Amino acid sequence: MITYYARCFAIVLLLTQPAFAGKVNGTLSSRLDFYPDHADGTASEGRSVEVKIDAFHDFDKSRIVGEFIFRGDKKDSGRRITEARQAYFRSPFAGFDFFVGNRQEFWGKAESKNVVDVINQSDAAANDGKSGKLGAPSISAERYLDVGNLQLWYISSFREKTFNDSDAHPSSGVPVSSAQYARKNGKDADDFAARLSSFAGDWDLAGSVFYGTARDPILSVNSNGSALNPHYALQKSIGFEAQYTGDVTLLKWESLHGTQSSLIGAHDFAAAVAGIEYTYYGAFETIWDIGLIGEIQHDDRPQAAANQFGVAGVRLVFNDIADSNFLFLASLDRKTDQSFASLEASRRINDVTSVKLTSQFYNARTATSTFGQLSDDDAITLTLNIFF
Amino acid sequence: MKLGTVTMFVAIATAVMITAAFASPEKGLEIAIEADSRDKGFGDSTAQITMILMDKYGQSTERTIRNRTFEGYNEGDKSLVIFDSPGDVRGTAFLSHTKKADSDDQWLYLPALKRVKRIASSNKAGPFMGSEFSYEDIASQEVEKYTYNYLRDEELNGLECFVVEYDPVDRKSGYKRQIVWMDKAEYRVHKIDFYDRKDALLKTLTYEDYNQYLDKFWRSNRLVMINHQTGKKTELVFADWKFQTGMTERDFEKSTLKRTR
Repeated sequence: MITYYARCFAIVLLLTQPAFAGKVNGTLSSRLDFYPDHADGTASEGRSVEVKIDAFHDFDKSRIVGEFIFRGDKKDSGRRITEARQAYFRSPFAGFDFFVGNRQEFWGKAESKNVVDVINQSDAAANDGKSGKLGAPSISAERYLDVGNLQLWYISSFREKTFNDSDAHPSSGVPVSSAQYARKNGKDADDFAARLSSFAGDWDLAGSVFYGTARDPILSVNSNGSALNPHYALQKSIGFEAQYTGDVTLLKWESLHGTQSSLIGAHDFAAAVAGIEYTYYGAFETIWDIGLIGEIQHDDRPQAAANQFGVAGVRLVFNDIADSNFLFLASLDRKTDQSFASLEASRRINDVTSVKLTSQFYNARTATSTFGQLSDDDAITLTLNIFF
Repeated sequence: MKLGTVTMFVAIATAVMITAAFASPEKGLEIAIEADSRDKGFGDSTAQITMILMDKYGQSTERTIRNRTFEGYNEGDKSLVIFDSPGDVRGTAFLSHTKKADSDDQWLYLPALKRVKRIASSNKAGPFMGSEFSYEDIASQEVEKYTYNYLRDEELNGLECFVVEYDPVDRKSGYKRQIVWMDKAEYRVHKIDFYDRKDALLKTLTYEDYNQYLDKFWRSNRLVMINHQTGKKTELVFADWKFQTGMTERDFEKSTLKRTR
């Protein structure tokens, strides 16, 4: 409740400040999706427009921050959203920086998947990679100690994962019904988390704990097969992150261990990503940088698409005036014989406009595997961003 | 013909001997130490920077960035660069902890993800923001990062200058050597010729419009880098210099990257 009022307070203050000691910026994103493999009765294309407003206002030692998303979609109601991704008040107190309201936070080191990134719920229906998140209604505190940076989190209510409509993409084709919770307070149950991150020499390290509702639901088909029931488990977990930064080689590790209690009982789980990124700076006597990425994912939670993925990728940074870059990642799970490839390319058109092309391709031999259900969800997306 | 060859050989040998006689690593190091000591005590500084990138046809595009620097004592300076435009990189921030002998520690903040990424600092020779400045050009210049050789005295723009060769210690540097013109009166750098790893002239940087702050610290308001091999040019125009603003070392920790605006 406190976080709700803080969020409202932050929004009202941001809107009513007569002398604005801060900044307001916006981004208008117009997006076209094409689904070359779409199944009968599902959308062959999608059109959406998103407006993002960033604003902050400084007081003497405090700050109010807002990041608001308004997204309209021609057909997919699951993708439509009005969201205060961030709307918080930050103030120093007793050596800590306190944040009250909606906040977005990132934990993790890896490229293909971040198993320790537990604070925010995913705005999965946005299908916008890692940046598609919902604000966490929270009170959090941060303090820089000799041993590193300490974060303490209290998250006051749960945000459900967003899903696309059943005839939109990506979707299993079955509508998602109302959520069920392992915790008796359901959506109102409190979450707690803490993280200590530090670096020494070439090493960046972090450890974290989480007690709360798992962000990813377990999806089960209801008795007559007409809907999917998302079931949110109680999760107690410990996370660990490490990165070694060498001259041209980055080594990355993140892991999450713990238990999940759900309708199907209590289970210990482990999820981890280990990775390497090797960069040829100034490759082929040009100013290009070519990064080679290799990661292995392990995840034995029932929500995971597969138990073990091998991921390989190439990142190409052209270092030109237009900031052109390109990322290709391919994931393969040999056990379930399913694979996934993604491609991302972006460049600046002028000072206020940029364009991004993304595409996702799913491949699976069996219809029962996770990607089998997504087999008609291959997508090619073109996004034009205008900054103001 | 034979006599001509001998004469030329003698002339070259004499020139080499004379240059060798006057060239002095000790004096080069003394000059570098004096220049460094004259800038000691600035504490911290901030500035607004407009970066103007020009292609060989003269077409230009602008970027606006803010710079914050915290003076290091035992180690090198700490600096934070915040990007205000173009729009797609707005809010991106680059933090660098310069080391005197070791590789620098560097982090990049990506605002869309709220993610702080540690990056490898061996990308020294790579272009900074697609400009003609490389990462090592914009990094804080520490005495320990080069070996020196004083070459000669020379007048430049009406000022008596030392001409000193700076040889980067780090083999990952994009340069074999730099020739630096520094005025004798105030030890301010006015021009640098950068030679690539093949010892071909790559770039020339000129420093213009010097102003003195707090009666001690000289800062140039216009840096012009010309790439002789591509014909491209980048200008950095500095404004609104502020010194001793009260920033602390804590403002340059990686956790504060998320809070810069």
